[in-house]
Amino acid sequence: MTRLLFTKLLRDLQSMSDRIALMVLALSVTLTVFSAILYTWGIANREMADAYLSTNPASATVLLEPGLDAAQMAQIAAETRQRPGVLDAVPRGELMLQVRRDDGTWGANPLQVFVAAPNDPIQVERFTVEQGSWPPAPGEILIDRSSFELLDLQVGQDLVVQAPNGAAVPLRVSGMVYSPGLAPSYQEQKGHGFITSASLPVLGVPATLDALKLRLAESPGAAIASIASADRAAIVAASIDLANWLQATYGVTISEIQVPTPYAHPHQGQMNTVLSGLLIFGVAGLLLSAVLVAAMLDALFTQQIPQVGMMKAVGAHAGRVLQVYLSMVLVITLASVVLAAAPGIALGHAFASALLALVGLQAQNLAIPWWIYAMAALVGVGIPLLLALPALLRATGTTVREALDYRGVPMSGAQAGNVFTRFDLGLGRLRGIDPAGSAMALMAFGNIFRRRARLLLSVGLLASAGAVFVAGMSTQAGFQAFLDRQQELRRWDVDVRLGDGGPVPAIPAAQLAAKIPGVVRTEAWSSLQTSIIPLGREFSVTHTYPDQGHGSLSVTVIPPATTLLDQPTLREGRWLQPGETGAVVLPAGLADARAGDTIQLSINGRPTPWLVTGIAESVDHGDDIFITQAGYVAATGADRPNLLRIVTSQHDEPTRVAVADTAERALSDAGYVVRTAASVSRSTAAGAGHMLPLILAFLGLSAATSVVGFAGLASTMGANVLERTREFGVMSALGAPASTVRRLVVLEGIFIALLSCLAAAIPTVLLAWWINDYLPIPGLFRISLPAVAIWFVVVIVGAVLATLAPAARASRLTVREALAYL
Amino acid sequence: MKSPSLINLHQVSKTYQTAAGAFTALHAIDLQVQAGEFVAVVGRSGSGKTTLLNLLAGIDRPTSGSLSVAGTALPPLSESQLAEWRGRTVGLVFQFFQLLPTLTVLENVLLPMEFVRTGAIPMAERKPKALALLERVGIADQAHKLPANLSGGQQQRAAIARALANDPPILMADEPTGNLDEHTKNDVLALFGRLNADGRTIIVITHERDISRYAARQVTLVDGHIAADAWEATQ
Repeated sequence: MTRLLFTKLLRDLQSMSDRIALMVLALSVTLTVFSAILYTWGIANREMADAYLSTNPASATVLLEPGLDAAQMAQIAAETRQRPGVLDAVPRGELMLQVRRDDGTWGANPLQVFVAAPNDPIQVERFTVEQGSWPPAPGEILIDRSSFELLDLQVGQDLVVQAPNGAAVPLRVSGMVYSPGLAPSYQEQKGHGFITSASLPVLGVPATLDALKLRLAESPGAAIASIASADRAAIVAASIDLANWLQATYGVTISEIQVPTPYAHPHQGQMNTVLSGLLIFGVAGLLLSAVLVAAMLDALFTQQIPQVGMMKAVGAHAGRVLQVYLSMVLVITLASVVLAAAPGIALGHAFASALLALVGLQAQNLAIPWWIYAMAALVGVGIPLLLALPALLRATGTTVREALDYRGVPMSGAQAGNVFTRFDLGLGRLRGIDPAGSAMALMAFGNIFRRRARLLLSVGLLASAGAVFVAGMSTQAGFQAFLDRQQELRRWDVDVRLGDGGPVPAIPAAQLAAKIPGVVRTEAWSSLQTSIIPLGREFSVTHTYPDQGHGSLSVTVIPPATTLLDQPTLREGRWLQPGETGAVVLPAGLADARAGDTIQLSINGRPTPWLVTGIAESVDHGDDIFITQAGYVAATGADRPNLLRIVTSQHDEPTRVAVADTAERALSDAGYVVRTAASVSRSTAAGAGHMLPLILAFLGLSAATSVVGFAGLASTMGANVLERTREFGVMSALGAPASTVRRLVVLEGIFIALLSCLAAAIPTVLLAWWINDYLPIPGLFRISLPAVAIWFVVVIVGAVLATLAPAARASRLTVREALAYL
Repeated sequence: MKSPSLINLHQVSKTYQTAAGAFTALHAIDLQVQAGEFVAVVGRSGSGKTTLLNLLAGIDRPTSGSLSVAGTALPPLSESQLAEWRGRTVGLVFQFFQLLPTLTVLENVLLPMEFVRTGAIPMAERKPKALALLERVGIADQAHKLPANLSGGQQQRAAIARALANDPPILMADEPTGNLDEHTKNDVLALFGRLNADGRTIIVITHERDISRYAARQVTLVDGHIAADAWEATQ
């Protein structure tokens, strides 16, 4: 570019500094958000993987039924380590305890305790001791740092837990650990602690361990290499071989093999969903602002058409002119990239840290890979440039003749029979109708079609913002409806989980609980962890993570004549008949089973055969498996329920809590081991805790998108007015009062807003459907009518507000100013 | 032997497609202009004057017929070739001056020199030449002002200086005095007269009655046809 053209570029930028600033601002704001999301994505994915892998997660856990003496397990582990393909093998155990509150009752949130031998160096499923030391002495416990707040604990205090036999046992909290392999306590609503097997006798249980943690190599011959296999199928096959070997060699009984997804944190799926959702919305936001900038540049280039024509009239060829305006776009996009750099990085760091904290991880390294910087810069420059290219080429391709004829309205190209010509004629006829009072509205309506590319950009921009807003709010509404539905399905108020230790008390638990003041109804249910054992095999292979929650399956035993179950919708087959034995209803998609198939479930550690009578939609009841109580008794011989569901007279929280506390005391006094007695609100809190990051992300992005949409409307209307400066001058010269000009411009803005609402309809439905399809919870799809109404009002009011300033400018133009405008 | 015409139109027609149907602005025009002539094209609004000028300046293309200016047949040229040709061959002056608003008067004059690639004026000579041109049109003292700070007459003089930047053999002007007061009009027309006296070919579209004081030849257009083509003695 020559010096003179460079001078022109600089002066043009200066003369349009307000609009250039608005463009740079719009672009840099969304680029900041987009790059922050990109940086978060880079940091969080790396940190989550690093943190999880730093724990040396077990490839597989082989569960023995019953467990063995710690010394015997250590011997088996040592010999297992010599097997080909085994990188490491350690014995472990796990049990769930209740924590006593200050008021003497057992807390609603359980404490999951992981057990290792005192000499276990914790090389598998590692954790970092932040206070205290490993191993804790007998009677001492290390607590995961995310559990302190949930359980209201402090290092050094004596924690009273309920032992499996029901006895209250004090354990001293000797320290704090950071365990990145576990989901945070606030999400799971349970605490995590670590003891040695030497503490088991303190809790009244034998010092046995029932889990063999295995780290398996990439291939059996590669035991020397320290790389754990990432191939779940290979891990499963190797684990089954090892399990068979253990059974054959030591005569042990294997009840289950747990193989979680290799190299994936239990919340990896949740993180992936959040990050992908954020990235998609970030790209959408960037596209919106790029569309906005493209629309503004289109207006700017259009305004420059007479100058383009004049440069060509004095000898400039298209390439020279293109240089000037291409440089203008590059200046704007590069300025935006530079402006967005520092805030994007700062926001990315903060957001990544916050997101990792939400899943219980602490970022060790906030460095952003260079290629992510490059990608952010490339996208920041490339997308706006790409979107502005058609306008750029159209403006610089303007001929001298077109430029001389230019009056802010396209004059050429109209041909008889052309669809646009026919449309124009139709609009003309519409004006011809001209009923009293509608002339202004018809004129405004006709005006918005004068620059169709601009109209398309404006409508597209607002429609995109509307679609993202309504789809985001609809997702939020869908999730709220899901939570409401979950609450509705819980027709009871208090869950009491009972242990199976000790002698069977004389009075049934349900009968005891029914006598508690404020209790309307009680039902005795059972809920058991289960797994599917392939036919012909004696143990199952599950996806269960070490916390025994993620990836696990549970079977719900339905009492006869229950009134508390909302029967799920069946996809195929039939529901369970009262008293039916050997029959099961499975959730859709589980083990690819169909009605009529026979499956084997592990119940109480035993393989039991079941006929699948129906397949339930997994919308309401998640992945619950249903059997009748009669079926449970017939299959296991046990008829002791482990879950009391209590309906209270009042459904408020104080009543629920009071009944839960009374039930706990009454049942304990009667000889029952009460694991938990809690209001159902705890389950709601756990569900909401898992979706919290996602909801926050959607709401934040919806709000950001809306801001971009309105900035777009304001700027495009401003451009429209600027471009028609001469026209408004002519209107004034013909005697149109300022108020008429003002009303005309505002009406045009309103018509654009209305068109955008129509244009947003289908994209909104598609986007909401797509988000629903992407989320892990089925059945969230809906279009929130309040969100539609809010957007409609907002877009109309926004259109009026956005067009007020341009309208005022148009109405203030003098005839002389308008006609001298180039 | 008669020298070849500088401008040569043979059976040139121009038809526009509009929403209302085809409209023919020029009907089979034949016109020759010799080098050094001062031709005034006159006629009522809509008679085809501007269309004719646009064809001569390579701004528009004829629908039929042949057209050559300064030895170049214009219809086959691309837009870029036409721009390059225009930069070297034709100086254009418009009714509304059309100066670039963010460049100073001097920079507006320098601009055409930047665009010409073949036979470009050496860099060192450009500024003195632009100043000399401004001196010639009488606004050298306004050289560093932006166009918005000049009067209409001064802006039109700056536009004439810009048209002369690459020393083109032909100067074409479309209603150059249409936006000027009476006194300024005469000054501008007199300037055209002096430029013609220096040997430059000038084509002016005008409504001015007293153009005959400066233009020896008047071509009168009526409804796209040449109704009269007369030579008169000038003052």
